[in-house]
Amino acid sequence: MRELEKTFEVPIGPVHPALKEPIRFTFQVEGERIVGVDVKPGFAHRGIEFMGMERNLIQVLYLAERICGICSISHPIALTQAVEVAAGIEVPPRAQYIRVIVSELERIHSHLLWAGVAAHELGFDTLLHLTWKVRERVMDILEELTGNRVDYAIPIFGGVRRDIAPEQYPKIQEMLRYYRGLFEELAERFLRDASVEARTRDVGVFTPEEAEALCAVGPTARASGLRKDIRQDWPYLVYGDFGVKAITPEDYGTEVRGDVYDRIIVRLLEVAQSMDIIERCLEDMPEGEITSIPKVPALLAQLKKAEGEGIGRHEAPRGEVIHYIRLEADKEAPVVWKVKAPTYSNLMSWVPMFRDQEIADIPIIAASIDPCMCCMDRVHLVRNGRDELVWKEELLALSREKTERIRSRVTRYASRVVDHGGGI
Amino acid sequence: MNAQAVLTALKEALGDRLRAPEIRTRSVGVKSPRTIEEVWGAIDRDVLLQAARTLKDLGPLHVSIISGADCGEEIELLYHFTVGFGTEGGEVLVTLKLSVPKTDPVVPSICGIIPGAQTTEREKIEFLGIEFSGIPDSRHLFLPEDMEVHPWRVDEPELEKFVKRAVKWEERNA
Repeated sequence: MRELEKTFEVPIGPVHPALKEPIRFTFQVEGERIVGVDVKPGFAHRGIEFMGMERNLIQVLYLAERICGICSISHPIALTQAVEVAAGIEVPPRAQYIRVIVSELERIHSHLLWAGVAAHELGFDTLLHLTWKVRERVMDILEELTGNRVDYAIPIFGGVRRDIAPEQYPKIQEMLRYYRGLFEELAERFLRDASVEARTRDVGVFTPEEAEALCAVGPTARASGLRKDIRQDWPYLVYGDFGVKAITPEDYGTEVRGDVYDRIIVRLLEVAQSMDIIERCLEDMPEGEITSIPKVPALLAQLKKAEGEGIGRHEAPRGEVIHYIRLEADKEAPVVWKVKAPTYSNLMSWVPMFRDQEIADIPIIAASIDPCMCCMDRVHLVRNGRDELVWKEELLALSREKTERIRSRVTRYASRVVDHGGGI
Repeated sequence: MNAQAVLTALKEALGDRLRAPEIRTRSVGVKSPRTIEEVWGAIDRDVLLQAARTLKDLGPLHVSIISGADCGEEIELLYHFTVGFGTEGGEVLVTLKLSVPKTDPVVPSICGIIPGAQTTEREKIEFLGIEFSGIPDSRHLFLPEDMEVHPWRVDEPELEKFVKRAVKWEERNA
């Protein structure tokens, strides 16, 4: 008798309703059980590092800000630190506090955004709407402080571009009170809800040994019990002054199981932690200058003279962001600019997480590392199933050709414009 | 973990094979200022695995990224490791530079020591044309499998054509 093939391939993506951004998973399944997965990113690669190495550093800063919409302050913070080390530029104390405040506001909005997505993936849309409704409060504060909901344009080499005015302090404190009052309710809805727990407990398990070996970062690593947080491990800006501690599920009083539920715990507790950090910043922040080189032409001139290399790191909402920069004198553009976003490090963690899971759990496991493809991918190429490059111009030509082809039919069936008689 | 301990361990393990060892510092903090130390050094590819093992023995090892630069005849790789995460202020950033000739761009893969390095090694294969001996998976990651252009090589013959084609299109339709 012929042996029946037991393993099937289920491709998901690059574009799929269960995914928020393009990536391709090829699952090997036996019935409902996943036995293997191959992950192919790159569909949102825009060649940002390549572009950066053709531009001056101020332009690079704006490019860095656009690597990711959600972590839109994380990349500039890492880049400015790298350049400040390479060029020997000081950052005034007040500017360091402002960078931290905006970073932590970003973490609050990003984690709430994620919590909403997670609720949606579980089919719990009322919780999505609640979470995203309360997220608007931090978005309003970001808009109030920076003028924008995303791409805040706050860090610049040597400081920040905007100060926080005295009349804005109470608005931030009001926001903190609002979220503190809501925290219990969010914890109740996410952590003490029977259906959320049933769908996330022991699902997508990632052991601490795997997390360490695969270099996982951010809440993905911490939910597996690794106390790994750059704000704690490698103090930068003013984080060392606050004694920030990496959060794991143990801080919630439960043992570490490294599942999706633990990833929810860690992110929720980190929202509370970010609020504490912002509060400390508002108390401690000294008066003073917000940038050491306020005039942009002077800054550009100094950067052009600079020679050296530097590294900047930042604990973004999803984990470690690192930028390496190398500058040569009389060259405006960096000679080398390397960017690493958190999803890049967390990419491999999907492989053990998906193992032995059900197909129905794919969306929540995929979402559980809070992936950000545009961050990780950064070349503008589309690939079809025949292993060929398809250029935008070719796609456009194909589209125009199709319009031409069907034009005669369209004209024939198009309805006549009604004459109203009165003119304009 | 501190930078001096990492540097001493590397010196003991590699001897004079560790070139230009250096501790670089930066000042951080406002209320309780402190100095953060980083380890920098240069090695040859034949001692890369030994260096990685030494770092792993010191504490939990993390590979942040491998940066790369085309320096003409040679390609320079910069391994940015961190040693000792999980303790307050105890993580040391270690950057090891390594140059390989373009005629023989083969580097041993460190995936056997730290499997998480695979993503960044695969990126160096497609972007800089490096070969990693012993890497478990050498397929392209971000770029299509049939793309033979290495975008970060400055002398890449196809690169200019490639960029011009994209730029020309963008300008016409921007």
